[in-house]
Amino acid sequence: MSDILIQVNQLTKTYNNKNSVSDANFSIRKGDIFGLIGKNGAGKSTLLKMIAGFIHPTAGDIRLFNHDVDSNHTYFERIGVLIEQPGLYPYYSGYRNLELIAISYGLKDKETHINKVLSQVGLEKDKDVKVKNYSMGMKQRLGIALALLGNPDILILDESINGLDPEGIVDIRHLIMELNKSGMTIIIASHILEELSKIATRYAVINQGEILEILSRDELLETCEERIELEVDDIKQVLPVLEQYLDVQTYKVMDSKSVHIFDTHVEVQQVIKLLSKNELSIHSITKHKQSLEQYFLERTGVESVGVSND
Amino acid sequence: MISMIRMEFSRFFTNKMMYILLVVFMAFQMFGAFMNAQFETISPISGQNVVDITQSEYMQMILAQSPSWVMLYIGIFTVSFYMSEYNNGFHKNFISMENARVQIVIAKLLVLGMFTLLMFVIMIFTDFVGRAIFFENTNIGDPLNFIKIIVGQFLLHWAFVAVVLCITMIVRRMVANIVITVLLALNVIGMLLSALESLIHDGSITSYLLINTITSPMDYNNTGDFLHVIIVALVYFAVATAISVRFKQKEDLH
Repeated sequence: MSDILIQVNQLTKTYNNKNSVSDANFSIRKGDIFGLIGKNGAGKSTLLKMIAGFIHPTAGDIRLFNHDVDSNHTYFERIGVLIEQPGLYPYYSGYRNLELIAISYGLKDKETHINKVLSQVGLEKDKDVKVKNYSMGMKQRLGIALALLGNPDILILDESINGLDPEGIVDIRHLIMELNKSGMTIIIASHILEELSKIATRYAVINQGEILEILSRDELLETCEERIELEVDDIKQVLPVLEQYLDVQTYKVMDSKSVHIFDTHVEVQQVIKLLSKNELSIHSITKHKQSLEQYFLERTGVESVGVSND
Repeated sequence: MISMIRMEFSRFFTNKMMYILLVVFMAFQMFGAFMNAQFETISPISGQNVVDITQSEYMQMILAQSPSWVMLYIGIFTVSFYMSEYNNGFHKNFISMENARVQIVIAKLLVLGMFTLLMFVIMIFTDFVGRAIFFENTNIGDPLNFIKIIVGQFLLHWAFVAVVLCITMIVRRMVANIVITVLLALNVIGMLLSALESLIHDGSITSYLLINTITSPMDYNNTGDFLHVIIVALVYFAVATAISVRFKQKEDLH
């Protein structure tokens, strides 16, 4: 229980009698890279803004570091936040923007702190350039630098890799991994699912304000892995045959009648032919191959249809 | 708290608009003194030619003119100072800190109080120099009365800033806020209510309106008048600050 940094219970936010987030329940453990996945308007930013203390929940509660934040707002200070666009003064330089925040935090050796975060995001050379002359990617990097300035325990990044070039995305990915290795817990929301799949250790799928599913990286990989799903009368009879004649070695027995075969060299036709030849009946056999994108579209798409029918 | 105030003052002293407003204000005050000398303006307070009146009376006369340029300058600066932070979303970088919502309102009021003070310093200095050059008159009148006018009017203007800040925070639209500030500086509402009051009865409730108090010349040596000014300033300042703090604490920041 002690390694849970964020605990969200029945969290709801209502605007004009419409739930932007409804009854969200989840927890984030120390060291997690928590990927929040959802379409535009799904409620990701609203949820993250509530966790960051920007907006007040209509109902439910948030516990940070095992403390109720309603009674003590100090815990919000341990969260670095970059939600949507970074908040920057365009007519100040990158350094000056960081300096103002360093002053507000009361940092003693602010120059060292600022140079450290500038170096982390690769903006040392452009620190004296006015922000209005920054590219989109540079602004995002500066936003991450601002979020890192207070040396937070938790970093919230919402669509933070938007506008970055491929090289920039790789740099930020490495930075996130590095920060995570150093013990920082990270929550990241993004549309770029492929990127998320490379870094997140846990995922939450959100649609129309509701958390549809929370799954670990292993569960996600398993769901999206290429496999043959076979259902028979008795798996105990089938497995020796498959092992002997098709050299099936990687599989997972789901129950007494079904098995998932992960060996990519095995084809569906081969399995049907083999089991027929051995007079073993097949109830069903399907080839499962699903991309990460398909998986999330399926999750969020099904929900959308359900709501539109109401 | 101190850190937040330091941040706001750091931003204030590097704000180019602040220096531009002060220089423009200084130039117009000097020009005003020149024009008053040229056209032999009569003071509405004593009925004397302005070249012969004291600095105390001249200051009251300037502050009673409609539109009030001091109120316009400090009002527009207030809107600009708050909205630049709000529109750029800079508050998102520090608002999660404990008590940041309260501290940022107080820090802003202190910064805007400093700007109001600078406006008064510029006004007193420029009027003094302008009167010396164009009126050949450096008489400030009764020094105690002069100090009371400065203190009273400064507090009233600071309260005005608190009201404008409160409205700006609630309205959150740059253009709408500027329009409201101009209407306040023109004292449109005060004049309308005063007219209505005079139609209904002979009371003096509207004399307790903030901008009516700012624009009404008073005898600051009279304890009743001086207390009237101080009480109006403190009440408006306290109410506007309380509403601003409460609003900021409850505000959802997007």
